[in-house]
Amino acid sequence: MTTRDILRRARRSLAQAKVRTILTSLAIAVGAFTVTLALAAGEGGRQYTEEMVKTSGDAGSLNVYPKRIEPKNDKLTEYGTAENSPSQRNTLSESDVAKIKKIDGVANVQPIYDIQPRYVTRGDGYKKYVAAVNVKIHRTEMKLSAGSLDDNRIPIGGISVSEELLSSFGFSNATSAIGQKIIINFPKLTASGESTEESFNKTFKIAAVDHGTDATLYYQPSLNISVDDGKEVYDYQMSGSSSDKYDGVVVELKDGVDVKNAKETIAGQNYEVYSLQDIRETLLQMVNIAQWGMVAFGALAILASIFGIINTQYISVLERTQQIGLMKALGARKKDIARLFRYEAAWVGFLGGVAGTVLALLVGFANPLIAKTLGLEKGVELLVFQPLTSLILIIVMMTIAISAGYFPSRKAAKLDPIEALRTE
Amino acid sequence: MIEVKNVTKTYGKKNNAFVALDNVSFTIPDGASVAILGKSGSGKSTLMHAISGLDKPEKGEIIIDGKNILALNQKAIDKFRSRTISFIFQSFFVQANESCYDNVSLPLEISGTAVNRRKKRIEDALTAVELLDKKKSRARDLSGGQKQRLAVARAIVGNPRILFADEPTGNLDSATGQVVEDLLFGYNKDNDVTLIVVTHDPDLAKRCDIQIHIKDGKIESIEGNE
Ligand SMILES: Nc1ncnc2c1ncn2[C@@H]1O[C@H](COP(=O)(O)OP(=O)(O)OP(=O)(O)O)[C@@H](O)[C@H]1O
Ligand SMILES: [Mg+2]
Repeated sequence: MTTRDILRRARRSLAQAKVRTILTSLAIAVGAFTVTLALAAGEGGRQYTEEMVKTSGDAGSLNVYPKRIEPKNDKLTEYGTAENSPSQRNTLSESDVAKIKKIDGVANVQPIYDIQPRYVTRGDGYKKYVAAVNVKIHRTEMKLSAGSLDDNRIPIGGISVSEELLSSFGFSNATSAIGQKIIINFPKLTASGESTEESFNKTFKIAAVDHGTDATLYYQPSLNISVDDGKEVYDYQMSGSSSDKYDGVVVELKDGVDVKNAKETIAGQNYEVYSLQDIRETLLQMVNIAQWGMVAFGALAILASIFGIINTQYISVLERTQQIGLMKALGARKKDIARLFRYEAAWVGFLGGVAGTVLALLVGFANPLIAKTLGLEKGVELLVFQPLTSLILIIVMMTIAISAGYFPSRKAAKLDPIEALRTE
Repeated sequence: MIEVKNVTKTYGKKNNAFVALDNVSFTIPDGASVAILGKSGSGKSTLMHAISGLDKPEKGEIIIDGKNILALNQKAIDKFRSRTISFIFQSFFVQANESCYDNVSLPLEISGTAVNRRKKRIEDALTAVELLDKKKSRARDLSGGQKQRLAVARAIVGNPRILFADEPTGNLDSATGQVVEDLLFGYNKDNDVTLIVVTHDPDLAKRCDIQIHIKDGKIESIEGNE
């Protein structure tokens, strides 16, 4: 018998036992539904995590700080005894920068300039405000409302202003702010970090207006200036003490360098190293654990449905003993009979797989609702479906169903036609 | 030609052993119509199953076209059953849920007949039993006589050379039985097909060229009309 003939007969037999077919495939559908949703939620979670990481920092770079002294053997280190005790070494110097620069795979070492403005204003006749001013030292993606940044870097003499601050400065909208002047007053600092009366004004031109997203890990409305301007301000502010002391540095790695390895190498040189990559991996791991937990529930449902298929198929074989006997008497091969029942099982698996997938896709229409309930930004999709995954899942369902139908189909194939035809 | 040589079939084992066919031998020429007669339990169906390769007697030979079908492997026997022979059963065994068309299509699907050649043959077979107008009806909606005619159509659609009928009119009233008989004998004469009928009905037996009487698994007598 040809595959087409057997498939047609299999489909007809199922159509004749509609209720039973629907119930059996429904059990599979529940499993397929759960697994599809789990995978979609996992994918959505991963994409959201990546987005979060991308807008929160550069996962390819490392933040390096002076080594902290950990308590050894549950005892605190006595002051003055350790070579690198915190008070002796709580900043990084130019020699540290040079040392780190020499490490394999390091492309650039950028000191973190912690600058302290006194006030921010648009100029004479405008109010003066207290605001956070940061030096944008890495290429973390910025979401812009207006203007543009080359390679996510602020141009020299330029500044990026958070959208939230625009109204304070009297700008009616983001576009109108571009190209406007912002003046920041920076005081000179004492060795202990206190402001002195001496200060200087620096003028910036607004190059971009940025805004946070819900995916950004820590977003604070602020003003961001370029590295070069940052260095100038830092040098000025620190000139009272020694300006070659940094709280930390950002290490940019060469393309293709393994972040983990580089991190270990630098940490091995007695530094404290943090990378966004760590956070990213932890978050992804959590998403994956949640996903596979849900998949496991789906797998349980599928396992239960296997018994349903076996049961149904056995009943079907019993009911159709006479049909099987007739087919064998007419010369049907054993393998044709086995295939007939296997294809029926495959159809059940197919129907269940498709039904479960379609139901899950329908739940996907609730994405905006989910985002709203969780207080996420508009357009964020926490359920991301992938056609290939669904296709594979349906094929897996069919394979499982066929395997479940193995014993019933073998029983059918082995029936003695004379016995089978005696039953009336 | 069908040659049955010293066929013995025993059911059960040792103490329970029951000899259903005891050293049976006879010959049937091509195109003949043969009636197998005997009391209930005498071994008629067992003999028919042996000749059609459904059952394996432990002793003897059944030679059809020079080949001992008892010595064939399963694949060859399946092929023999789908190409050379065909069955009609007392209780029809039509597939109630399927249309008449699909019922008749089954032997062609099993024998691997190409799809484009099926339609005409199915319609010809349905025409021969005057059921063409019912081809889309479900078999369960047919009357008893129509069901058996459908079974005849299913049996002849594959152009078999040997047609087996186990009490084909046993479940039918005499008028309807007559119609089915006429169909079978007409097909036997027109196509030169060997017809082997198991029956209790003496009138049906008389219409056959040869009557084989069986008693307790043994040939009691063989009579010919010619
Ligand atoms: N599988 C079996 N196991 C044991 N005995 C069997 C088996 N099949 C048939 N028999 C016995 O073999 C004998 C012949 O059976 P068979 O079916 O050939 O009779 P029959 O002549 O066709 O009778 P009927 O006219 O009632 O159909 C009977 O006594 C029956 O009980
Ligand atoms: Mg019988």
